[in-house]
Amino acid sequence: MNAAAERRLLEPWQDPKAAPFVRIERLTKQFGDLYAVDDLSLDIFQGEFFSLLGSSGCGKSTLLRMLAGLEYPTSGRLYIDGVDVTEVPPYARPVNMMFQSYALFPHMTVEQNVEFGLRQERMPRAERAERVSEMLELLRIAPLRKRKPDQLSGGQRQRVALARSLAKHPKLLLLDEPLGALDKRLRENTQFELVNLQERLGITFVTVTHDQEEAMTMSTRIAIMDAGQIMQVDTPTAIYEFPSCRFVAEFIGSVNLFEGKVVESSGDEVLVESRIGRSMRVRAFHPYALGTPVTVAVRPEKVRLCLDYREDGVNQLRGVVEDIAYLGDVSIYRIRIDAALPRVQMTLTNIQPRTEQALTWDQEVAIEWSPNSAMALSE
Amino acid sequence: MSTASAPLSRDSRLSRFVNIGIPYVWLGIFFLLPLLIVLRISIAEPALAQPPYTALWEWIDQGVLQIHINLQNFILVWEDSIYLDAFLNSLWVALVCTLLCLLLGYPMAYALATSPERWRVPLLMLIILPFWTSFLIRVYAWIGILKPQGLLNHALMGIGLIDEPLAILHTQIAVYIGVVYSYLPFMILPLYANLTRLDPTLLEAAADLGCRPLRAFWRVTLPLSSAGIVAGSMLVFIPVVGEFVIPDLLGGPETLMVGKLLWGEFFGNKDWPLASALAVVLLALLVVPFVLMQRIEQRIEEGSR
Amino acid sequence: MSGRHPGRSRWPLWTLLAFGYAFLYVPILLLILYSFNESRLVTVWSGFSLKWYGELLHNRQLLDAAWLSVRIAAVNATVAVVLGTLAANALVRHGRFRGRTGFELLLTAPLVMPDVLIGLSMLLLFVAMQQGFGWPAGRGFTTIAIAHITFSTAYVAVVVRSRLAQMDASLEEAAMDLGARPLSVYAQITLPLIAPALLSGWLLAFTLSLDDLVIASFVSGPGSTTLPMVVYSSVRMGVSPQINALATLIVALVAFAVVIAGLSMRQSQRSS
Repeated sequence: MNAAAERRLLEPWQDPKAAPFVRIERLTKQFGDLYAVDDLSLDIFQGEFFSLLGSSGCGKSTLLRMLAGLEYPTSGRLYIDGVDVTEVPPYARPVNMMFQSYALFPHMTVEQNVEFGLRQERMPRAERAERVSEMLELLRIAPLRKRKPDQLSGGQRQRVALARSLAKHPKLLLLDEPLGALDKRLRENTQFELVNLQERLGITFVTVTHDQEEAMTMSTRIAIMDAGQIMQVDTPTAIYEFPSCRFVAEFIGSVNLFEGKVVESSGDEVLVESRIGRSMRVRAFHPYALGTPVTVAVRPEKVRLCLDYREDGVNQLRGVVEDIAYLGDVSIYRIRIDAALPRVQMTLTNIQPRTEQALTWDQEVAIEWSPNSAMALSE
Repeated sequence: MSTASAPLSRDSRLSRFVNIGIPYVWLGIFFLLPLLIVLRISIAEPALAQPPYTALWEWIDQGVLQIHINLQNFILVWEDSIYLDAFLNSLWVALVCTLLCLLLGYPMAYALATSPERWRVPLLMLIILPFWTSFLIRVYAWIGILKPQGLLNHALMGIGLIDEPLAILHTQIAVYIGVVYSYLPFMILPLYANLTRLDPTLLEAAADLGCRPLRAFWRVTLPLSSAGIVAGSMLVFIPVVGEFVIPDLLGGPETLMVGKLLWGEFFGNKDWPLASALAVVLLALLVVPFVLMQRIEQRIEEGSR
Repeated sequence: MSGRHPGRSRWPLWTLLAFGYAFLYVPILLLILYSFNESRLVTVWSGFSLKWYGELLHNRQLLDAAWLSVRIAAVNATVAVVLGTLAANALVRHGRFRGRTGFELLLTAPLVMPDVLIGLSMLLLFVAMQQGFGWPAGRGFTTIAIAHITFSTAYVAVVVRSRLAQMDASLEEAAMDLGARPLSVYAQITLPLIAPALLSGWLLAFTLSLDDLVIASFVSGPGSTTLPMVVYSSVRMGVSPQINALATLIVALVAFAVVIAGLSMRQSQRSS
């Protein structure tokens, strides 16, 4: 297999011929005057672990609920595995959902909960028992089978909920904040388990989360949502390294932004004259017309100390250390360039013990970054 | 989720029909319609017939419809002081009893709401328990206590506080006692529900800001429990205005109340139209407090969403 | 609200609470005590006796009335639970439907409406119906039951509604997501979860019916005398020790039911 073919298999969205597994076509959901989801189109492919990421109220949960059939769209179409399911009620969709609250039936045992979906499709008893056992084994909760939900810990409930939603072997599993109710330590372990499970079963996962770390760790692709629309869909790396707009750059991680306008554009690089008077040479996705207002985005960890500062230096700034936040592995320095400008953040790894670090408060420093680690973004 | 999601409501045209339609029709026929009939009979004349009132309309020959409207009953209610006095006294009794219930019920509800968590349910059960025993019998119990040779007089004379038995039974005082006794739980329950929802950190914040406990009660607790106060007061006030059993068993000849009078007109004098007219006036009097209660309830409901 | 507030003495509150409980319970306790009194006089204790219970058990009229009342109460409670649950479904599940305000009004009014008003208006309706199309032919069991169902429904709706509103809506969504159709969701998930409210609604409706004097007096006919009507007519004659005995039996029954309910609740808590 050549490299391109392999890439197509792992990243089907790169393959123009691949048929999407879930096709969302100009979907809109209105609640009164509010557009929870606004004319949104999106393709999700077989075997993906796809995350919808956004702050609360961005419409990600509504989108998930429409995939489950718990809400019907105001307009637009929805296809799953080539079938138009826009009007199909939830109980007839080949989709299952893991609810944020887990929604375990409190009057049923773990076993009965897992069995519930199979009973609804009138699966024969023997087969049902086998499937339940398989699921309980898969999620390592077999010893809990006779317990009721209120006798389980948070992590155990999460497993039961997962077992229940996987029991029917859905084509698509929807997860609403799957790790939201777990504490931090448990969450980190479970992230990897979820990914393993998804890879093993080959089921397409679509998850909703507001936690970017979670989305970055687990997803094949992430869709960043705001105000009912998708701002960018891409792999975690691309989202972080090559944000397509200012909103995405600010939403994921921290970023330093400098406004300015394009004075030179060549290939995938532009020269920007920033408002503070310094020139910056950075990457650009596409050529810009001269004079276009753009924002230069630089991640704090891409900023480094500059040893050969020049008055006309490109991608170079000079300022005073105003604040130092010591985080153990790294320290974040907030540097004042200009009183009117937001402080520039620089993250440095603490290679030396803190006491021996060179930088201190009120020290004058020069900083810089390389052209290919910063981006020019249009508004 | 406060709004019904689309698929649930789309699938449920039938469920809508059943859930809304059936109770609506039942209550419409057996609750609303009867009130309209009362209105209609209040403008009829009593008659020696079965049923004992004149028809509202009749067809006299050649398809001419004759409609009888008789406002005599209402004029009588307005002019004969016995009816007017009964209405005024009913409102007075209801007002006094509501205040007494509030005075006794608020501190009780407050004590319950601030009691240690594990005591609350049993203590609350003890408030509700008398509900489940017969109302009539509980009122009757007071006859034995309040009558001249009753237990109260016996006890008071026994300890030498009084020489002669007090005449309490068959006075308005006895009615007050009976009403407060019977309706106290109706005051306590909404107040308790309201006070337990109150965030205790509000009082801590008030204390932290230098507010003394009594002042904090006046400035924080009391205003925040106003919805409970109104709800409880209406639950007592409205039914007491039309109360029959208590004034009948515990009250005397001078305790005129509408409920008793209406009962008398109906069962004693067999004057259905007059009884209906009394009912119409009573209903009209209760509309305002009822709407007030409904408003408060809606506010509570919206607040809890 | 919970816990004690530093620097504030609670004894005045507790004293008042104790007084309140005494106020609520002393009359009932006295009734019980005097039901065992040999003498007919309230103030004289002339020795322990069960004779009033004996007389009670031979009071044919009272027993018949009690049996009628229990039957009416059972029918009333059963129908009221069905109607009240439907109404609660409507209020909790169907959001802002047209005519909701009127619906809520009809469900709240019976809670506070004076009994004489309900009783009179119901009677006039039954009379008009009989005149109009001959049903109900007479007044008795059916008319009393209908009248009781009408106001009991409102009480049941309050109880079931609060339980339904507390229920996590995602439970029903999860059931539907797992393939259950709406009616089946209601049967498999909703009903079992609101069952305690249905039971307490049933008991409440039963008690309300058993307790009603005024409305039943209006809408009953000859030959259908309920227990409260018998009690009322004997109470009007003055203090009657038989009524004391009856009161004691009712209190014992209620206390028994409460203890059973409490025990079963504790058991179900332990088992889960």
